[in-house]
Parts: sequence; C-alpha cells; structure tokens
Amino acid sequence: MITCDEFFAEFADYLENQVSLEVRQELELHLSQCRACHVLYDSTRKTIRIVSESNSFELPQNIFDPIIERVMAKLRTDPS
Amino acid sequence: MHSSQAFLEGAGMNIRGEPGPEQESDPFVVFREAFGFIPNFLTAQSALPRVIAAHAKLEEAVCLRDGAISRVHKERILLCIAADRRDNYWVALNTEVLISLGVPEDHIDSLLNDYEHAGILAPDLALLGFCLKLSRDSSSVGLEDVEALRAQGFADEAIIEAVAVTALAVYRCTLSVALRPEPDVKRRNLCPKITRRADKAVPLSVVADTRHKAARRGPYVRAPYLSPITFEHFAIVRKSHGFIPNFFRAQTLRPDLLEAQLQALGSILLPEDALTRVQKESILLVVSALNLNSYCVAVHCIMLRGLGLSAEEADQIAVDYRLSNLPKADMALLDFVVKLGTHSSECSPEGAGKLASFGFTREQILECVVVTAINNFANTLQMGLGIEPDFEPPLVFEKTKVNPSDAATTLMPREGVEQLVETSQDGDAELVAQAQCGQLEAFEELVRRHTRLIYRALLAILGDAADAQDAMQDTLLSAFKHIGRFQGRSKFSTWLVSIARNAALERLRGRRNTESLDQRETEEDCGFRPRQIAAWQENPEQSHSRTEIRQLLEAGVLQLPAKYRVIVMLRDVEQLSTDEVARQLGLSVPAVKTRLLRGRLMLREWLSPHLAASRKGAGQ
Repeated sequence: MITCDEFFAEFADYLENQVSLEVRQELELHLSQCRACHVLYDSTRKTIRIVSESNSFELPQNIFDPIIERVMAKLRTDPS
Repeated sequence: MHSSQAFLEGAGMNIRGEPGPEQESDPFVVFREAFGFIPNFLTAQSALPRVIAAHAKLEEAVCLRDGAISRVHKERILLCIAADRRDNYWVALNTEVLISLGVPEDHIDSLLNDYEHAGILAPDLALLGFCLKLSRDSSSVGLEDVEALRAQGFADEAIIEAVAVTALAVYRCTLSVALRPEPDVKRRNLCPKITRRADKAVPLSVVADTRHKAARRGPYVRAPYLSPITFEHFAIVRKSHGFIPNFFRAQTLRPDLLEAQLQALGSILLPEDALTRVQKESILLVVSALNLNSYCVAVHCIMLRGLGLSAEEADQIAVDYRLSNLPKADMALLDFVVKLGTHSSECSPEGAGKLASFGFTREQILECVVVTAINNFANTLQMGLGIEPDFEPPLVFEKTKVNPSDAATTLMPREGVEQLVETSQDGDAELVAQAQCGQLEAFEELVRRHTRLIYRALLAILGDAADAQDAMQDTLLSAFKHIGRFQGRSKFSTWLVSIARNAALERLRGRRNTESLDQRETEEDCGFRPRQIAAWQENPEQSHSRTEIRQLLEAGVLQLPAKYRVIVMLRDVEQLSTDEVARQLGLSVPAVKTRLLRGRLMLREWLSPHLAASRKGAGQ
C-alpha cells in the first residue's frame, strides 16, 4: 500500500478527478485503510462542496445599480 | 547527397570535427559500445555535447539495455523503419550492427528486399508491422493494434518497448535528414518493396485498420502506480510542472525508460545557451500540430503560457504561426522545422543557410534540429501508447487547416468546449460591436450581464467588499475607454475580468502591506500539510443554518492570502474551470492547481473547528 506522503502527493489531482485508473485504485485502497487520510479527504471534499453550494458572496444585483448609474452618467457627460 | 558539413556550410559554418577530450566522456562510450566506433551522426552534433549526452541516454535505455525484446529484434525494427523512410545513412549503420550481432547478411538482404517474406515468425512480423505503421502515421495507431499484438502473445512490457524503439528510429531519422552525416560504412541499396509508399497499407491481417480509433481510449498498456516519493524523477517533474503529465504516468511499466527520457528532455529543452525556451516550445508546438498530436499541442500551449505568452498567442502559433506576433527570425526557424518535421525531403542546406542569414548560430540551428527530433520521438510515443490528454486540447486539428502552405487558416474550436473563441461564438459579440461604435446603452447592458463576475474577481484580489465596490467603478470606466482595442480573440467576459484584475492590482499596490498574486510557488506552498485531523460531521449543512455557513465561509475565504483567495473564488465559488482560471489570471495551469489545493486546505483548516464531528453532537 502507498504511504500517506504518497497519497498526499496525488491528492490535488484526485480531488479534481484527474488520475488514471491505476492511481485511483492505489489511492482508494489507502483511503480505506488510513483514517487520517480519509478524514483529510472527506473534509476537503466537504469544504469544496460547501464553497460551491453556499451561494457565498452573493449580492443582490441592485447593490451595483448606484455604481453602474454613476459610471453611465459620467460617460454620458464625457464619453472620452 | 549533402554531407552534414555541406548542411552546415549552407549556414556558413563548419561544425564538423573530431570529438575533443571533453566529448570522449560517457556519451561516446555508449555509442562506441553500440556501434564499435563513433558514427558520423554524432560528430555532426559536436557543437552541443549536451544533446549527444541526451541521445546516448535514449539509445542506452531503449536499444542497448536488455529488455522484453532482444537487441536483434530491436535492431531489425530500426533497420526496417530506416529503410521505409529511405534513410540510407541508418540502413547502412543498422546493417553493420546486425552483422556484428551475428545476423547473416542474406537475412538482412531479405529483410530489405521483402520483410514479409524474410522468414520472420508470425508474432515478430506482427510486431514489425505495428512499428512500421506507427512510424508512418502515428495517428493511425489505435488500441486495436495493441490488442492484436497481445493476441500474438506480446506482453505490455514488449509493446511499450516496441513503441519506444519506433520513437527512437523516428528520432534518429529526423536527425539524419537534417544533419546529413557522411556514411560511416558502405551504403546498401534500398529495395523498392520496403520503400515508403503512400498507397501501401501495412500488409498484416493482424494489424487492424484503426482510422476509427478516436472512440477507443488509452492508455493502451498497463501503467502501475509509481510514487513520486520513491521515484525521485516524478518528484522533480511535479515540482517543476505542478503535476505529473500522463505522458510519463503511462510509461511506469519501464522506470528506466522514463528516467532516460526525463534526463534527455531536460538536457535538450531546459538550457538556454542556444535557443530560448520560448523558441523551443514554439518548435514543439508547431511540429506537434503538424503531426496532429493534440496531446502534445495542449501541453506545449500550456508551457508557452507558463513562459509568458497569452493563450491566444499560443493557440495562434499552433494554428498558423505566420499570423502570430513572433519575430520574423523565429518564423523562419519554424518554417525550417515544418519542412524538417513533415516534408523532410525539402529540408536542405539552403534552409539552414537562410537561418544563418537571420543571425542564428550553428549551435542554435543544431538545437532546432534536435528539438524537432525529440518532438517526433515524443509524438510517436504518445500516439503509440494512446496517452490521454492532461488538459483539454485548445483546438481540433485537421491536416489541411494547420499551418497551411497556401490556404487561409480556419480556427476550429473543439466541439462543446469554449476555448478559443471566434467572435460569432461569444454571446456578447453584437453588443460589443455596438459599444465599440459608442452606443452607451449597449455598453450598459454588457456591464449588467457581467457585474457579478467582475465583483467577485475584484473581491477575490482585494479581499474587502467596500474596496471591491470602489474598484468596480474604475473597472467599468477603464473598460469603456479601451473597448475599441478588444479584438474578439477571447470571450468579452475574459477581457473584462482582465481589466478588473488590473484595476484591483493597482489598488493592491497602493496598500502598505502589498499582497502579490504573482509570487512563485514556494517550498512551503508545495509542502503545506494540514494540522486539523478531526473528522467532520456527516452533513455540516444540516447542523448549521445557511446563513451561519455562508458567514463562516466568507470570513474564511477573505482571510486567505490573495494568491490563494483569487483561485478559490474563481474556481470554487465562480465555478470556472482550472484552465479558465489560468487564462483569466495569466497563470499556468500547474500553478493554478498548486495554489488551488493550498487554498482549499487552508480553508478546510479554517472551517474544521466549526464543523468537526464533536461539535453539536453531529456526525460519526
């Protein structure tokens, strides 16, 4: 079985689903037997899911209206 | 027949000469062992000893070392490919080697006369047919061909070796076509039956016609896991590239071959004592495009971007470098390699002379030849092993539409993927055209479409909501001022984000403690290891309100250093692809991947105390 260091060396590509079948099999065997790496993988995957699905930094469109209106007013008076 | 001397004299130079004491070192020992003397194709390269050393590594690993295929079988393949390519130099040299290995001359003559009826056993004939097919048109080889070899009893170890031997033959022949070494031994006549004819299919029923191979995926041979911890060359590759390309992963069955290739590639491609890296990557890109090798095209586009070219510039070099912004001298260099790489018979001393008139030195011209040869080596290996792309290729290539000699170029975006964008494909194109004519309403509509994207890009860099809103105004004014310069060679939204990025960076520079987006990856970045090892709740979203999670996350993202924050924002919050993030930020894909992992892990560290299973009694 691969070591934790070897698992971590492949971790970024594994998260992005960019590993070959052979590498994936090795990583998943390791995950099934190493609690620390399993925790790391599970929590990182959840982090990505939360970031992707939380609608964070979502601002109502109208918050930008004053900015856009200011810019357009300036351009109408001085388009150069 | 021009000699190598004539070839380089065409460039007004003479690089021939007996190897000096320095060159009598290891590489020459390898060749002396292989051939019994130092062949002329080596002395023709004596201006750059490092490329001779690189060649020696390849010869030793691929040909001389005992492997799954015997030396005689390998030499037979090398001979037949040389004959197929009408390469008199290598036919003569290979013949001598076979004789020295105890192969009767009449058998060699039979091979050259009609290898199909030279008394070769059926499996060996199948292997030879496979290698010839691969060397003639690497894009025609598919999984079916490899399966046909397996059916003949060949193990994957033998198949990978046969592919490597074919690649070596292509490398050798590319060199000899350009360098035109004087024959070392008496030249043998080539027989018409083995000469290359476009209409002659490989006559082996066991080798399938695989023109439809696109549906079959590679890699074709087993690739056992090889760890970057135990195989130090992988660690080096990961450090320099940010990842280990599939090109190397697919060859793990033969670590010795891999090691030789990595050393050879490093010796040829990395030094800048002759050509620059941009020049070399441009050569690799152009010849790969001509070989219709979209794997290598994608890799070299990425490499060029890593060396500072824009994605559009790199794509343009692949599609038609004559329409790119390259200096005229570099275009002449590429004209030369196009002839060498694809129309070898047109490669002439006059071509080298033309390069000299552009100021290229003998070392540079020689390196140009060697880079083309190593490119053909890599292209052959990639196609022969069916290695899957690391990145989505930027374009689909067709023979008639890549660097056409007499036709206008057509850009061909790959179906379903928005990479290189023609104006007609960008939904903003019509509004952009109107805005460029000064129509303010059109500009306002464009701005409203992309406000959120701009804001997130600004926030990602500045890390402060109020600052981001201020920078928004600067961005919009700057976009209107410069919209006339937008030429539609990228998506309008990409261009807009680049304006936002510049506006944000300008503000960032005005701060006392400047955060930089451009710092290179450090040891710390690559070696970052998480400290929090407590398991998380099964469904953290269920034990916290959405608002709680959102606030926690936003605080976590904003505390990240800018170089990680911007990647996490664009990749995970904005859901752009890794490649798109790289384009938006002008970074290489490997750099984005390294920073993305680090940013995600830092964010995980931030969230862990709040979402661990022990809190709120959830999970486990």
